[in-house]
Amino acid sequence: MTQTPVTDSAVNPQVAAAPVAVDVPMMRLHVKILRFNPETDKKAHWVTYDMEAQPGDRMVDVLNEIKWYKETGLAFRRSCQHGICGSDAMLINGRNRLACKTLVRDVAKDGGTVTVEPIRGLKVEKDLLVDMEPFFDAYRAIMPYFIHPTPFPAKEQYQSEANAEKMAHSSNCILCACCTTSCPIFWVNGSYIGPAALVQAHRFIFDTRDEAKQQRLGVVNQNTGVWRCRTAYNCTEACPRGIPITQLIEEVKREVMFGQS
Amino acid sequence: MYKGREGQWAFLLHRISGLAILVYLLLHVFSIGSMIFGEPFYMKIHNTYDFVLFRLGLVAVVAAVVYHAFNGLRIILMDFTSIGVSVQRQAWYGVLGITALATLYALIKLIPRIAGGY
Repeated sequence: MTQTPVTDSAVNPQVAAAPVAVDVPMMRLHVKILRFNPETDKKAHWVTYDMEAQPGDRMVDVLNEIKWYKETGLAFRRSCQHGICGSDAMLINGRNRLACKTLVRDVAKDGGTVTVEPIRGLKVEKDLLVDMEPFFDAYRAIMPYFIHPTPFPAKEQYQSEANAEKMAHSSNCILCACCTTSCPIFWVNGSYIGPAALVQAHRFIFDTRDEAKQQRLGVVNQNTGVWRCRTAYNCTEACPRGIPITQLIEEVKREVMFGQS
Repeated sequence: MYKGREGQWAFLLHRISGLAILVYLLLHVFSIGSMIFGEPFYMKIHNTYDFVLFRLGLVAVVAAVVYHAFNGLRIILMDFTSIGVSVQRQAWYGVLGITALATLYALIKLIPRIAGGY
Protein backbone atom coordinates (compact mmCIF):
# COMPACT_ATOMS: atom_id res chain seq x y z
CA MET A 1 0.00 0.00 0.00
CA THR A 2 1.22 3.49 -0.65
CA GLN A 3 2.40 5.57 2.25
CA THR A 4 -0.81 7.26 3.21
CA PRO A 5 -0.88 10.50 5.19
CA VAL A 6 -2.40 10.24 8.65
CA THR A 7 -5.29 12.42 7.58
CA ASP A 8 -6.56 9.70 5.23
CA SER A 9 -8.02 7.68 8.06
CA ALA A 10 -10.06 10.77 8.89
CA VAL A 11 -11.48 10.75 5.34
CA ASN A 12 -12.73 7.21 5.80
CA PRO A 13 -12.98 6.59 9.55
CA GLN A 14 -13.94 2.89 9.08
CA VAL A 15 -10.59 2.26 7.51
CA ALA A 16 -7.62 2.40 9.76
CA ALA A 17 -4.44 3.27 7.92
CA ALA A 18 -2.44 0.10 7.42
CA PRO A 19 0.97 0.06 9.06
CA VAL A 20 3.69 0.80 6.56
CA ALA A 21 7.18 -0.59 6.91
CA VAL A 22 9.17 2.58 6.30
CA ASP A 23 12.45 0.97 5.27
CA VAL A 24 10.96 -1.12 2.45
CA PRO A 25 11.34 0.64 -0.92
CA MET A 26 8.12 1.44 -2.74
CA MET A 27 7.41 0.14 -6.24
CA ARG A 28 5.83 2.23 -8.96
CA LEU A 29 3.05 0.36 -10.62
CA HIS A 30 0.64 0.89 -13.52
CA VAL A 31 -2.56 -0.92 -12.64
CA LYS A 32 -4.59 -1.46 -15.80
CA ILE A 33 -8.17 -2.37 -14.99
CA LEU A 34 -10.83 -3.49 -17.46
CA ARG A 35 -13.73 -1.29 -16.41
CA PHE A 36 -17.36 -1.45 -17.38
CA ASN A 37 -20.30 0.61 -16.20
CA PRO A 38 -23.60 -0.87 -17.44
CA GLU A 39 -25.30 2.54 -17.18
CA THR A 40 -22.93 4.45 -19.43
CA ASP A 41 -20.72 1.99 -21.35
CA LYS A 42 -21.54 -0.25 -24.28
CA LYS A 43 -18.19 -1.99 -24.04
CA ALA A 44 -15.60 -2.58 -21.35
CA HIS A 45 -12.53 -0.35 -21.56
CA TRP A 46 -9.09 -0.20 -19.96
CA VAL A 47 -8.26 2.43 -17.37
CA THR A 48 -4.74 2.73 -16.00
CA TYR A 49 -4.00 3.93 -12.47
CA ASP A 50 -0.50 4.93 -11.45
CA MET A 51 0.10 3.55 -8.00
CA GLU A 52 2.82 2.95 -5.49
CA ALA A 53 3.00 -0.23 -3.49
CA GLN A 54 5.42 -2.23 -1.41
CA PRO A 55 6.57 -5.51 -2.97
CA GLY A 56 4.89 -7.45 -0.17
CA ASP A 57 1.51 -5.76 -0.58
CA ARG A 58 -1.31 -7.83 -1.97
CA MET A 59 -3.20 -6.89 -5.10
CA VAL A 60 -6.32 -6.43 -3.00
CA ASP A 61 -4.49 -3.74 -1.03
CA VAL A 62 -3.71 -1.93 -4.28
CA LEU A 63 -7.32 -2.20 -5.46
CA ASN A 64 -8.56 -0.95 -2.08
CA GLU A 65 -6.16 1.97 -2.39
CA ILE A 66 -7.62 2.82 -5.82
CA LYS A 67 -11.18 2.50 -4.54
CA TRP A 68 -10.64 4.49 -1.36
CA TYR A 69 -8.47 7.30 -2.67
CA LYS A 70 -8.65 7.46 -6.48
CA GLU A 71 -11.80 6.01 -7.95
CA THR A 72 -14.57 5.37 -5.47
CA GLY A 73 -16.83 3.97 -8.18
CA LEU A 74 -14.60 0.94 -8.80
CA ALA A 75 -16.61 -2.22 -8.13
CA PHE A 76 -15.04 -5.46 -6.98
CA ARG A 77 -15.89 -8.10 -4.41
CA ARG A 78 -13.81 -8.79 -1.35
CA SER A 79 -14.71 -9.81 2.14
CA CYS A 80 -12.28 -11.60 4.43
CA GLN A 81 -9.25 -10.65 2.28
CA HIS A 82 -7.35 -13.60 3.70
CA GLY A 83 -7.98 -16.30 1.10
CA ILE A 84 -10.85 -17.96 2.94
CA CYS A 85 -14.10 -16.44 1.65
CA GLY A 86 -13.20 -16.71 -2.04
CA SER A 87 -14.79 -13.38 -3.03
CA ASP A 88 -11.98 -11.64 -4.89
CA ALA A 89 -11.23 -14.00 -7.76
CA MET A 90 -10.09 -12.00 -10.77
CA LEU A 91 -7.96 -12.30 -13.87
CA ILE A 92 -4.64 -10.75 -12.85
CA ASN A 93 -1.94 -10.62 -15.53
CA GLY A 94 -3.78 -13.17 -17.64
CA ARG A 95 -4.32 -15.77 -14.91
CA ASN A 96 -7.15 -16.33 -12.48
CA ARG A 97 -6.05 -15.57 -8.94
CA LEU A 98 -7.40 -14.32 -5.63
CA ALA A 99 -6.38 -10.67 -5.28
CA CYS A 100 -5.83 -11.25 -1.56
CA LYS A 101 -3.36 -14.09 -2.15
CA THR A 102 -1.40 -12.37 -4.91
CA LEU A 103 1.60 -10.30 -3.88
CA VAL A 104 2.54 -7.29 -5.98
CA ARG A 105 6.13 -8.53 -6.34
CA ASP A 106 4.90 -11.76 -7.92
CA VAL A 107 3.02 -10.01 -10.73
CA ALA A 108 5.01 -6.85 -11.46
CA LYS A 109 8.44 -5.30 -11.48
CA ASP A 110 9.14 -1.72 -10.40
CA GLY A 111 7.62 0.57 -13.03
CA GLY A 112 5.75 -2.33 -14.61
CA THR A 113 2.11 -2.87 -15.52
CA VAL A 114 -0.40 -5.20 -13.91
CA THR A 115 -3.63 -5.99 -15.76
CA VAL A 116 -6.77 -6.76 -13.81
CA GLU A 117 -9.89 -8.13 -15.53
CA PRO A 118 -13.10 -9.76 -14.33
CA ILE A 119 -13.17 -13.57 -14.41
CA ARG A 120 -14.41 -14.92 -17.75
CA GLY A 121 -17.50 -16.83 -18.75
CA LEU A 122 -19.85 -15.06 -16.31
CA LYS A 123 -21.78 -11.90 -17.10
CA VAL A 124 -20.00 -8.74 -15.97
CA GLU A 125 -22.31 -6.57 -13.88
CA LYS A 126 -19.86 -3.77 -13.20
CA ASP A 127 -16.05 -3.51 -13.44
CA LEU A 128 -14.66 -6.64 -11.76
CA LEU A 129 -18.02 -7.75 -10.40
CA VAL A 130 -19.64 -10.68 -12.21
CA ASP A 131 -22.96 -12.45 -11.84
CA MET A 132 -22.07 -15.58 -9.83
CA GLU A 133 -25.58 -17.07 -10.02
CA PRO A 134 -24.88 -19.54 -12.89
CA PHE A 135 -21.82 -20.72 -10.97
CA PHE A 136 -23.87 -21.39 -7.85
CA ASP A 137 -26.64 -23.02 -9.91
CA ALA A 138 -24.08 -25.59 -11.04
CA TYR A 139 -22.98 -26.02 -7.42
CA ARG A 140 -26.58 -26.64 -6.32
CA ALA A 141 -27.09 -29.13 -9.16
CA ILE A 142 -24.72 -31.68 -7.63
CA MET A 143 -26.63 -31.56 -4.31
CA PRO A 144 -23.82 -30.28 -2.09
CA TYR A 145 -25.21 -31.63 1.16
CA PHE A 146 -25.13 -34.87 3.09
CA ILE A 147 -27.92 -37.27 2.03
CA HIS A 148 -28.70 -40.10 4.42
CA PRO A 149 -32.27 -41.47 4.08
CA THR A 150 -31.72 -44.49 6.35
CA PRO A 151 -31.87 -43.75 10.08
CA PHE A 152 -28.50 -42.91 11.57
CA PRO A 153 -26.94 -45.68 13.69
CA ALA A 154 -27.07 -45.15 17.44
CA LYS A 155 -23.30 -45.10 17.66
CA GLU A 156 -20.78 -42.88 15.96
CA GLN A 157 -20.40 -43.25 12.19
CA TYR A 158 -16.80 -44.24 11.88
CA GLN A 159 -14.71 -42.46 9.27
CA SER A 160 -11.31 -44.06 8.78
CA GLU A 161 -8.24 -42.00 8.01
CA ALA A 162 -7.94 -43.66 4.62
CA ASN A 163 -11.54 -42.76 3.76
CA ALA A 164 -11.13 -39.18 5.00
CA GLU A 165 -8.02 -38.92 2.83
CA LYS A 166 -10.11 -39.59 -0.31
CA MET A 167 -11.90 -36.26 0.12
CA ALA A 168 -9.07 -34.36 1.79
CA HIS A 169 -8.45 -32.23 -1.31
CA SER A 170 -12.03 -31.76 -2.49
CA SER A 171 -13.20 -30.53 0.90
CA ASN A 172 -10.68 -27.66 0.69
CA CYS A 173 -12.69 -25.81 -1.98
CA ILE A 174 -13.79 -22.24 -1.12
CA LEU A 175 -16.01 -21.76 -4.22
CA CYS A 176 -14.09 -18.75 -5.50
CA ALA A 177 -14.74 -19.73 -9.16
CA CYS A 178 -11.07 -19.34 -10.17
CA CYS A 179 -11.18 -22.84 -11.67
CA THR A 180 -14.52 -22.76 -13.46
CA THR A 181 -13.82 -19.39 -15.08
CA SER A 182 -10.37 -20.49 -16.27
CA CYS A 183 -11.85 -23.44 -18.17
CA PRO A 184 -11.90 -22.98 -21.98
CA ILE A 185 -14.91 -25.29 -22.22
CA PHE A 186 -16.87 -23.20 -19.70
CA TRP A 187 -16.09 -19.99 -21.64
CA VAL A 188 -17.83 -21.31 -24.74
CA ASN A 189 -20.41 -23.56 -23.09
CA GLY A 190 -21.96 -22.03 -19.99
CA SER A 191 -24.14 -25.09 -19.42
CA TYR A 192 -21.08 -27.15 -18.43
CA ILE A 193 -21.28 -27.41 -14.65
CA GLY A 194 -17.56 -26.72 -14.42
CA PRO A 195 -14.61 -27.83 -12.30
CA ALA A 196 -15.81 -26.30 -9.01
CA ALA A 197 -19.10 -28.20 -9.05
CA LEU A 198 -17.25 -31.39 -10.00
CA VAL A 199 -14.84 -30.95 -7.11
CA GLN A 200 -17.85 -30.56 -4.82
CA ALA A 201 -19.43 -33.66 -6.38
CA HIS A 202 -16.16 -35.52 -5.72
CA ARG A 203 -16.31 -34.46 -2.08
CA PHE A 204 -19.67 -36.22 -1.59
CA ILE A 205 -19.20 -39.12 -4.03
CA PHE A 206 -16.10 -40.23 -2.14
CA ASP A 207 -17.63 -39.70 1.31
CA THR A 208 -18.35 -43.23 2.55
CA ARG A 209 -21.08 -41.95 4.90
CA ASP A 210 -23.13 -40.37 2.13
CA GLU A 211 -25.91 -42.47 0.59
CA ALA A 212 -26.70 -40.57 -2.62
CA LYS A 213 -23.58 -41.53 -4.57
CA GLN A 214 -25.52 -43.06 -7.48
CA GLN A 215 -27.77 -39.98 -7.74
CA ARG A 216 -24.74 -37.71 -7.88
CA LEU A 217 -23.00 -39.93 -10.43
CA GLY A 218 -26.19 -39.61 -12.48
CA VAL A 219 -25.97 -35.82 -12.35
CA VAL A 220 -22.32 -35.65 -13.38
CA ASN A 221 -22.88 -38.27 -16.11
CA GLN A 222 -25.23 -35.92 -17.98
CA ASN A 223 -23.97 -34.18 -21.10
CA THR A 224 -23.37 -30.97 -19.13
CA GLY A 225 -21.33 -32.91 -16.60
CA VAL A 226 -17.95 -34.51 -16.18
CA TRP A 227 -17.46 -35.55 -19.84
CA ARG A 228 -17.20 -31.88 -20.91
CA CYS A 229 -13.82 -31.83 -19.17
CA ARG A 230 -11.14 -31.87 -21.87
CA THR A 231 -8.24 -31.87 -19.41
CA ALA A 232 -6.81 -28.43 -20.20
CA TYR A 233 -5.48 -28.19 -16.61
CA ASN A 234 -6.22 -24.44 -16.35
CA CYS A 235 -8.38 -25.19 -13.30
CA THR A 236 -5.56 -26.99 -11.51
CA GLU A 237 -3.13 -24.15 -12.26
CA ALA A 238 -5.63 -21.51 -11.11
CA CYS A 239 -6.82 -23.04 -7.82
CA PRO A 240 -5.67 -20.79 -4.96
CA ARG A 241 -6.14 -23.72 -2.55
CA GLY A 242 -3.78 -26.00 -4.47
CA ILE A 243 -6.48 -28.58 -5.16
CA PRO A 244 -5.38 -31.03 -7.90
CA ILE A 245 -8.69 -30.42 -9.67
CA THR A 246 -8.07 -32.27 -12.94
CA GLN A 247 -6.97 -35.32 -10.99
CA LEU A 248 -10.20 -35.21 -8.95
CA ILE A 249 -12.32 -34.80 -12.10
CA GLU A 250 -10.56 -37.81 -13.64
CA GLU A 251 -11.37 -39.79 -10.48
CA VAL A 252 -15.02 -38.82 -10.87
CA LYS A 253 -14.90 -39.92 -14.55
CA ARG A 254 -13.52 -43.30 -13.52
CA GLU A 255 -16.12 -43.61 -10.76
CA VAL A 256 -18.88 -42.95 -13.34
CA MET A 257 -17.39 -45.62 -15.62
CA PHE A 258 -16.60 -48.29 -13.08
CA GLY A 259 -18.56 -47.40 -9.95
CA GLN A 260 -21.99 -46.71 -11.38
CA SER A 261 -24.54 -49.44 -10.76
CA MET B 1 -5.30 -14.76 -24.24
CA TYR B 2 -5.49 -16.65 -20.96
CA LYS B 3 -2.01 -17.53 -19.76
CA GLY B 4 -2.60 -21.23 -19.35
CA ARG B 5 0.24 -23.70 -19.29
CA GLU B 6 1.00 -26.87 -21.26
CA GLY B 7 -2.42 -28.46 -20.72
CA GLN B 8 -4.27 -25.56 -22.33
CA TRP B 9 -2.07 -25.61 -25.45
CA ALA B 10 -2.26 -29.40 -25.64
CA PHE B 11 -6.06 -29.13 -25.63
CA LEU B 12 -6.16 -26.32 -28.18
CA LEU B 13 -3.77 -28.07 -30.59
CA HIS B 14 -5.72 -31.31 -30.18
CA ARG B 15 -8.96 -29.55 -31.10
CA ILE B 16 -7.43 -27.68 -34.07
CA SER B 17 -5.61 -30.76 -35.41
CA GLY B 18 -8.80 -32.80 -35.02
CA LEU B 19 -10.83 -30.30 -37.04
CA ALA B 20 -8.06 -30.06 -39.65
CA ILE B 21 -8.01 -33.85 -40.05
CA LEU B 22 -11.80 -33.88 -40.38
CA VAL B 23 -11.69 -31.27 -43.14
CA TYR B 24 -8.88 -33.18 -44.86
CA LEU B 25 -10.84 -36.44 -44.63
CA LEU B 26 -14.01 -34.92 -46.10
CA LEU B 27 -12.00 -33.41 -48.94
CA HIS B 28 -10.22 -36.71 -49.47
CA VAL B 29 -13.44 -38.73 -49.60
CA PHE B 30 -15.00 -36.19 -51.96
CA SER B 31 -11.94 -36.17 -54.27
CA ILE B 32 -11.74 -39.95 -54.52
CA GLY B 33 -15.52 -40.26 -54.76
CA SER B 34 -15.65 -37.68 -57.57
CA MET B 35 -14.76 -40.54 -59.92
CA ILE B 36 -18.50 -41.26 -60.11
CA PHE B 37 -18.86 -38.01 -62.07
CA GLY B 38 -16.37 -39.26 -64.65
CA GLU B 39 -12.64 -39.10 -65.15
CA PRO B 40 -12.39 -35.53 -66.51
CA PHE B 41 -14.02 -34.14 -63.36
CA TYR B 42 -11.81 -36.34 -61.16
CA MET B 43 -8.68 -35.17 -62.95
CA LYS B 44 -9.74 -31.54 -62.81
CA ILE B 45 -9.97 -31.73 -59.02
CA HIS B 46 -6.71 -33.59 -58.71
CA ASN B 47 -4.88 -31.11 -60.91
CA THR B 48 -5.79 -28.33 -58.48
CA TYR B 49 -3.96 -30.29 -55.79
CA ASP B 50 -0.76 -29.53 -57.67
CA PHE B 51 -1.00 -25.99 -56.24
CA VAL B 52 1.97 -25.41 -53.93
CA LEU B 53 -0.13 -24.93 -50.78
CA PHE B 54 -1.67 -28.37 -51.24
CA ARG B 55 1.80 -29.88 -51.70
CA LEU B 56 2.98 -28.30 -48.46
CA GLY B 57 -0.30 -29.38 -46.89
CA LEU B 58 0.85 -32.99 -47.10
CA VAL B 59 3.44 -32.24 -44.43
CA ALA B 60 0.81 -30.46 -42.32
CA VAL B 61 -1.48 -33.49 -42.56
CA VAL B 62 1.28 -35.75 -41.26
CA ALA B 63 1.94 -33.32 -38.38
CA ALA B 64 -1.75 -33.07 -37.48
CA VAL B 65 -2.39 -36.83 -37.62
CA VAL B 66 0.71 -37.74 -35.60
CA TYR B 67 0.02 -35.04 -32.98
CA HIS B 68 -3.64 -35.99 -32.68
CA ALA B 69 -2.85 -39.70 -32.42
CA PHE B 70 -0.14 -39.44 -29.79
CA ASN B 71 -1.91 -36.76 -27.76
CA GLY B 72 -4.94 -39.04 -27.87
CA LEU B 73 -2.82 -41.73 -26.21
CA ARG B 74 -1.78 -39.14 -23.62
CA ILE B 75 -5.45 -38.38 -22.93
CA ILE B 76 -6.29 -42.09 -22.60
CA LEU B 77 -3.41 -42.40 -20.13
CA MET B 78 -4.77 -39.45 -18.10
CA ASP B 79 -8.35 -40.72 -18.16
CA PHE B 80 -7.50 -44.23 -17.03
CA THR B 81 -4.53 -43.80 -14.69
CA SER B 82 -3.61 -41.27 -12.04
CA ILE B 83 0.02 -41.57 -13.20
CA GLY B 84 -1.09 -40.14 -16.54
CA VAL B 85 -2.29 -37.00 -14.79
CA SER B 86 0.90 -36.56 -12.79
CA VAL B 87 3.15 -36.85 -15.86
CA GLN B 88 0.83 -35.04 -18.30
CA ARG B 89 3.27 -32.18 -18.86
CA GLN B 90 6.23 -34.45 -19.66
CA ALA B 91 3.95 -36.62 -21.80
CA TRP B 92 2.97 -33.57 -23.83
CA TYR B 93 6.60 -32.67 -24.52
CA GLY B 94 7.06 -36.28 -25.61
CA VAL B 95 4.10 -35.93 -27.99
CA LEU B 96 5.58 -32.71 -29.40
CA GLY B 97 8.95 -34.41 -29.89
CA ILE B 98 7.44 -37.35 -31.75
CA THR B 99 5.37 -34.96 -33.88
CA ALA B 100 8.43 -32.89 -34.74
CA LEU B 101 10.42 -35.99 -35.74
CA ALA B 102 7.58 -37.38 -37.86
CA THR B 103 7.04 -34.01 -39.54
CA LEU B 104 10.73 -33.70 -40.30
CA TYR B 105 10.79 -37.22 -41.77
CA ALA B 106 7.72 -36.46 -43.89
CA LEU B 107 9.28 -33.21 -45.06
CA ILE B 108 12.49 -34.92 -46.15
CA LYS B 109 10.56 -37.70 -47.91
CA LEU B 110 8.23 -35.24 -49.60
CA ILE B 111 10.81 -32.71 -50.80
CA PRO B 112 10.82 -34.10 -54.38
CA ARG B 113 7.03 -33.97 -54.48
CA ILE B 114 6.87 -30.45 -53.00
CA ALA B 115 9.56 -29.18 -55.36
CA GLY B 116 8.54 -30.98 -58.50
CA GLY B 117 4.83 -31.62 -58.22
CA TYR B 118 3.31 -34.73 -59.78
